[in-house]
Amino acid sequence: MSTILDAIADLRAGRRSPVDVAKSALTTGVAIGLLLILLFPVYWIVTVALSRGTTLSSPGSLFGDPATYTLDSFRWVLENESFRRGLLNSLIVVTVTVTVTLAFSIPGAYALSRREFFGRRKLLYGYILFTQVGAGLSIAVLIALYALFSGIGLTNNLLVLGLFYAAGAIPFNTWLLKTFMDNIPVSYEEAAIVDGASQWQVMREVILPLAKPGIAAVLVFAWTAGWNEFIVAQTLIHDPDLYPLSVELYGLIGDRRGTSWPQFAAFALLFALPVAIIYFLAQKQVESGLSFGGMEG
Amino acid sequence: MSVDTPEGVGNRIRRLLPSRATDIGVVLVLPGLVLFSLFMLFPIAFLVYLSITDVSRAGDVIGIFQGEASIVWFANYLELFTDGEFWNSIGVTWLYVGVSLGLKLVLTLVIAILLTHDRVAGKRYMRTLVIVPMGFPPIFVITIWRAIFSPAKFGPFNRLVSAYNDVVIGLTELVDTIAFFLALRAPELLLVDVPVNWTGGRWAAFFGYVVTETWLAYPFMVIIVVSALQDVPMELHDAAKVDGAGYLNRLRHVTIPAIKGPLVFASILTAATSFQNFLIPWVFNKGGPGRSNELLLVYGYREARVFNEYAMSSAIMVVAIGFIGLFMWLAVKKTNLADGV
Repeated sequence: MSTILDAIADLRAGRRSPVDVAKSALTTGVAIGLLLILLFPVYWIVTVALSRGTTLSSPGSLFGDPATYTLDSFRWVLENESFRRGLLNSLIVVTVTVTVTLAFSIPGAYALSRREFFGRRKLLYGYILFTQVGAGLSIAVLIALYALFSGIGLTNNLLVLGLFYAAGAIPFNTWLLKTFMDNIPVSYEEAAIVDGASQWQVMREVILPLAKPGIAAVLVFAWTAGWNEFIVAQTLIHDPDLYPLSVELYGLIGDRRGTSWPQFAAFALLFALPVAIIYFLAQKQVESGLSFGGMEG
Repeated sequence: MSVDTPEGVGNRIRRLLPSRATDIGVVLVLPGLVLFSLFMLFPIAFLVYLSITDVSRAGDVIGIFQGEASIVWFANYLELFTDGEFWNSIGVTWLYVGVSLGLKLVLTLVIAILLTHDRVAGKRYMRTLVIVPMGFPPIFVITIWRAIFSPAKFGPFNRLVSAYNDVVIGLTELVDTIAFFLALRAPELLLVDVPVNWTGGRWAAFFGYVVTETWLAYPFMVIIVVSALQDVPMELHDAAKVDGAGYLNRLRHVTIPAIKGPLVFASILTAATSFQNFLIPWVFNKGGPGRSNELLLVYGYREARVFNEYAMSSAIMVVAIGFIGLFMWLAVKKTNLADGV
């Protein structure tokens, strides 16, 4: 807004020529236009969720009729039995994933960051290799694991599912946390030791509090991994009572005739919202985790 | 309460500070490594083993431990490499990686240059908005695009195609009224048959995959490229301007060299991710129609779960892991990820 007012003031005072202002307006317009095209799917799914009884086979407006927008579909989802069950299952899986991830990656990251031990460099290098691939390997090994698990009765188990997600992301999370701990000055630990703290106290009183932002980032990654994952869940869970939300959502789209589009859209949005909210609250940490802080320039 | 002598303090610090203490480091690292090995490294080894046996159904896999499977060595691989379906899958996978990478690069450059441009007002808000797709679960995004590419006549994308047809017809009519003596009709070549069957047509479905993949992956590239562009010192641009370089020249000699490294980095990572894509074809039409669009992982997965060919599926997955390994090596070699290890 202030940009526009400044531009008008500059024009009046003759500091900028009309052509110059027009150029800026045009470029900004192009950028906004591109943005609108890119964000069309998001806008569309929101309007579908708000509209009544739109189906994809009706020639009406693509965005329904704004006069009849309603929250009925969201209410339907929140009262829906399969949504509630799916939510509970998803929360169980996510809890397991987050707990296991933190329990296993914090000590590992501390050791890799602060200790010298046999094979440390090799292990770190191996972990870094595995940070760059996740989903694909999971699906490749899923074939073997599915056969084994169904043989020994470990399918249909939400704990196993959560453990699987945590295990697959250990290299990434350990390494992310390790790079974070590398930036904590050793002098804090030295000071604590001079004051007579034990090893255990140093970890608990010095490292953990200082590594909080890094731990938060790992928590976000673990949480979203457990919440978002679909194909492993669909393979290892056969009992509809144990479906997490992602599998329920897929079921809605697979069942063409029975799905009312507004209900599907509302379900999808309610599934995606927690992730989007967490993501944008923790955007700084997430971005540092994505670019690994390693690609500056 | 004993008062430490200076030497005592020194000794204690030496004893406790990170040193060659091998014990505690290993103890702390081991649990994570064991968990990872159980769910990742061991299954990979097991897959390699399965791929040289002749098991077919999931139930037979467990029988291996009772010695019920026979080793056939490389018979599965031989069969695989003489199978047209396998080569089709490899071809489609690489085509998908290549086409979507090209599209992503163009889109990323356009967005990044616009959102760092002097003349664009409100850049900061736009940067936040443009990476919104990243904040959504992939399964959510893909189901939505699957709905957009609905084969129904009034599906969103089919409406767009119809609108495009109307524009082409309208333009020809306009030209026709001006130059009435030509008796023009809308050229068949430029028109698209509506409704397009986005799930039942091979290339229509492939087009849908690529668009979805691009939308999923461009924010990641935009973040990296935008941050690289912001690091280009203005002095460089000013110096180039003084030397009389036009916009395109500056783009070629100042902007592109500055973001080349990050662009390569982002391209490798996004190519690796799209090579391993499973969800897009799966949600769209299970890699159909038929088996024509099965990306490698979908091909391997269906071989096991739908066609009960576990040994063959394992061989496919081993090939896939080989490719993934190449990507891993490339990502670490071509970037500075592993520096300072």
